[in-house]
Amino acid sequence: MRVSGINKSFPGVKALDNVNFAVRKGTVHALCGENGAGKSTLMKIINGIYKADSGQIFLDEKPVTIKDPIQARDYGIAMIAQELNYVPEMSIEENLFLGRLPVTKFGNVDWKRVRRETIEFLRQENLPYKPDQKLKTLTVSDIQMLEIIKAISNNAQIVIMDEPTSAITNREVEVLFGKIAELKKKGVSIIYISHKMEEVFRIADDITVLRDGKTVETHPASEIDLDKVIALMVGRKMDNVYPKEEVEIGEPILEIEGLGSKGVFKDINFKANKGEIVGFAGLMGAGRTETMRAIFGLDPYDEGKIKVHGKEVTIKKVSDSIAQKVVMLSEDRRRYGIIPIRSVMENASISSLDKIIYGGRWHPKVEKELVSKYFEKMHVKTPSLETAIQGLSGGNQQKVLLAKWMLRDPDVLILDEPTRGIDVGAKFEIYRLMTDLVKEGKTVIMVSSELPELIGMCDRIYIMNKGRITGCLSKDEFSQETIMRYAM
Amino acid sequence: MKNSKARDFIHKFSIYIILVAMFIICAIVNDNFLSARNLINVARQLSVGTILAYGEMLLVIAGLIDLSVGSVLALAGVLSIAAYQSTGSLLVGFLVAIAVGVACNFINAILVTHFDVPAFIATLAMQMSARGAALRFTNGQNLLQLKDYTVFGQGNLGPIPMPVVFMIIITIITWYIMTHTRFGRSLYAIGGNEGAAIASGINVKRNKYIIYIINGIFAGIAGVLFMSRVNAGLPNGAVGYEMEGLTATIVGGTSFSGGVGTTMGTLAGGFIIGFLNNIMNLMGVDSYVQQIVKGIIIALAVVADIRSKNKKTQKVILAADDNDDKKEKAAAK
Amino acid sequence: MKKKVISAILCAAMVSTMAVGCSSSDSKKDSKSDKKDGYKVAYIARAQEDSFAAWLADEMRAAFKKTGDMSLEVFDGEANDEKENSIIENCIANGYDGIIVQANNGEAQLPYIQQIVEADIPCITTNPRVECEGTGSVDADPYEQAKVNCELALKKIPKNAKVVVLQGPAGNFHSTKRREAWKKEFFDKRSDVKILAEDIANWNKDEAMQLMEDWVQAYGKIDAVISMNDNMAAGAIEAVKDNAKYKNMQAYGVDGTAEACLLIKEGKMTSTGLQSAIDLAKMNTEAMHDVLTGKKKVTDINDNVPAPLITSDNVDEYIQMYKDNGQIKE
Repeated sequence: MRVSGINKSFPGVKALDNVNFAVRKGTVHALCGENGAGKSTLMKIINGIYKADSGQIFLDEKPVTIKDPIQARDYGIAMIAQELNYVPEMSIEENLFLGRLPVTKFGNVDWKRVRRETIEFLRQENLPYKPDQKLKTLTVSDIQMLEIIKAISNNAQIVIMDEPTSAITNREVEVLFGKIAELKKKGVSIIYISHKMEEVFRIADDITVLRDGKTVETHPASEIDLDKVIALMVGRKMDNVYPKEEVEIGEPILEIEGLGSKGVFKDINFKANKGEIVGFAGLMGAGRTETMRAIFGLDPYDEGKIKVHGKEVTIKKVSDSIAQKVVMLSEDRRRYGIIPIRSVMENASISSLDKIIYGGRWHPKVEKELVSKYFEKMHVKTPSLETAIQGLSGGNQQKVLLAKWMLRDPDVLILDEPTRGIDVGAKFEIYRLMTDLVKEGKTVIMVSSELPELIGMCDRIYIMNKGRITGCLSKDEFSQETIMRYAM
Repeated sequence: MKNSKARDFIHKFSIYIILVAMFIICAIVNDNFLSARNLINVARQLSVGTILAYGEMLLVIAGLIDLSVGSVLALAGVLSIAAYQSTGSLLVGFLVAIAVGVACNFINAILVTHFDVPAFIATLAMQMSARGAALRFTNGQNLLQLKDYTVFGQGNLGPIPMPVVFMIIITIITWYIMTHTRFGRSLYAIGGNEGAAIASGINVKRNKYIIYIINGIFAGIAGVLFMSRVNAGLPNGAVGYEMEGLTATIVGGTSFSGGVGTTMGTLAGGFIIGFLNNIMNLMGVDSYVQQIVKGIIIALAVVADIRSKNKKTQKVILAADDNDDKKEKAAAK
Repeated sequence: MKKKVISAILCAAMVSTMAVGCSSSDSKKDSKSDKKDGYKVAYIARAQEDSFAAWLADEMRAAFKKTGDMSLEVFDGEANDEKENSIIENCIANGYDGIIVQANNGEAQLPYIQQIVEADIPCITTNPRVECEGTGSVDADPYEQAKVNCELALKKIPKNAKVVVLQGPAGNFHSTKRREAWKKEFFDKRSDVKILAEDIANWNKDEAMQLMEDWVQAYGKIDAVISMNDNMAAGAIEAVKDNAKYKNMQAYGVDGTAEACLLIKEGKMTSTGLQSAIDLAKMNTEAMHDVLTGKKKVTDINDNVPAPLITSDNVDEYIQMYKDNGQIKE
């Protein structure tokens, strides 16, 4: 497949500017670029969701017009979206044959055939599920796998994967990569979009970098390195991916003793010291998020002690932990982070209402100054303070949420997957902020599924597995292999 | 750029522009509209609905709703009159109405926060029960001989009718709550994203109780005003008043999906509905047509709300991208 | 846990209501086999929310109690045809000795009333009458109730008067009939009278009041309010209570409610045609008693309660009636 000279404008902005790129048969072609660089727009044009203003798509050197996703499917193009769209109440077989249910000669749905073929698919893919099981009972990675199976069963020749690994564990990533290798062998081409450079370099045959809606360069993966790709993406050179600095480690600030919650996690003991970045590694479902939520007062715990500055505290609700200057940034930005329709200013000040509404009055000036101060510090890019936060990019939303907690001047900041789904530039700024915070004598706890960033940023890493802490590594012991050994 | 600023201005103040336009049109098409008597008349007529609209506004902003307010108003009204008739004290009558409003809404709040019953269902149940209680208490008969009780609805404070005085006071209270209290600010967060509100340290459950209780106080006051205005305790009065309140709220720009809404917008919504009812009666439009017109107005208000929201979001995303690009380019240079 | 508790409570509630329901139907069966206990009669009221219907139901209970050998169960049709029809079906199944139906909508209930006849249960339709072979009826004639007002209005309403008309809910039988009487017995005879405005106020005092407030602004002077019931007339009067210009406004209603009597006494309302729930209940009770004891055939029952006109001349008599039943205090 080849696209040439694609232009696409939205009112007020040129999203794609003369984009060209070609995918060779049976290869993985990675598409890199910061958020807003035009990757998603381009993929949506290829999938027929958007219509290009000008330019041409060629399949096997024949010019084609793709009007809608159904036509794209007929041309053998399938897209596995970043946000998997599925109906939770739908069964596996219904989902698999969605929009193309086979019919008998009488015109009714041939459920027998559906069942037979579904069982066959599940067996081939080694998925331990029943065909009539509802999708909501499956893990995210298995649903993703189903989507891929669906694409292949449609005889897809080109599979677009948008951030396929953003919500799955490392082990599942391996399964996915195995699948990709299998597809390549069958001659299927894959367009792979990801922010995770390690993955891109592991599986891509070619890499195309997009910036500001333009194709910057395309290189075979073997002829280019990470720093070069990042430099191309941001348009300048990035010296250091992880801006970690040495900070003197002080006394323990947060101590957890024997914390447990029935059926979720048990016997959790750890310490986080002043000036320290403590990492939490583990597979998805290991209980890291759940533990942090309990410490933050979002979920209850049954047993154990939480000590802050050496004193035992009772945390029953979020306001309790905020009062102890312990705050947490949730992994699920949409559910527990942003208030989409409200302004960035209100999103930033919502946890500090006592600082802007006092003496029976609201002090809008104080609010504006306070928020502006932290937005500057955090390099938040927003058209205005009144802009609804849903209009910002993921990275900027994350920075607003960080600013929200900075307003509370916390002693302990728990970050759960703080860099998920945000672009390289924003990631870097979040790392730098973490460094700044520990320099000021704060404590940062980072839960992450990206081992390189844990290794790059942390002073110590705890590893969790099945609701327990299985290991604690100090800096000189860090390695991906060791961490994975404890995690499995 | 200037153009878009003008557009923003129009967008931000569209509801007030509509109100003013409507006022002017009403004045042109009917000579009687502008008379002081008629304007006082309109203000008196719309006060009960607008007071209810404030309660609904607080609820809808926080992602809740109250379908029981018409019934609760009737129950509070008839019990208040009975209390007045047996004690002879206006104060007792007034306080009983508020107590009944609060009690009913406390039950609403328990169902909603404690038992996780959707607000729609919980208050629908209350709608039936409260109406039934009002009818049972009065045996379905109107309570008569209200005597001095009518002062709440028919009296005047200087030139201003009492219901309007109550409406003004409640408008100021609501405005104060929404802009100058932490509670008011929290409502936007709760309705905008409850999960995020909890994770930001807001006590969502307690706030929901407070909202329903405030709504109950407003419903009680509305009950007193309504009954004393018509000089009778009507157990089957105010049927469908929850819709009157909700209409003013929604027309006034409160988003049905929660998280958005202002006191002044709701006040404007109340006036728009009031003017509309008044002008149609002045012009002798028959009640079938009136219903059609009101239906269209509600549909238009919601369509406008949804459209402006979509446009705004789209514009903002692009603007943010635009901004990013520019800054980046500037930085590169 | 919470869910369990709730479901347990719900189950308990359901079981207890079922038990109560069963036991009451059991007792009915007993009574049928043993008539000494008295006759079981069902009265299906149109809607307990409607203040007249509620009053009628109350008076029915009282009148039946006095008979000694008949007992009455009252059901609420909730102003809903489907609800009312299913109540009729249930009553047939439960084997009542007699059924009195106050139809919500005669057309809609007709097939079900026929079922009562087919089941050989004596059936009386009341307020309104439903024309159905094999049934009897006791009614207050809405045409008559309005007509008595018209006769007075012909004399009292000044020449070239300007009036407004208030109607009940769209399609309501009583409202339609009363309006028809006003047309035939008044407006057709007095072409000089001009109707300034006419609208539906759904029997409601508050709706009528708001309409009247706006009409006063629009028309300046209104000589008379012609309302299809007293509630709405009272609302219109309330709207002009303190307006000196309207001191001599006439107001006509129907029903003869306590409030209307008080207004007539005060001189604010002109007249109303009484629809007496007391009389209606009394005649229904007597008719049903005659049928059940074999004195009369149900098909011979075809009665109308009188519709006396209440004016300032005779209002004291009716105020006394309301004082007796407690609706007017002092």
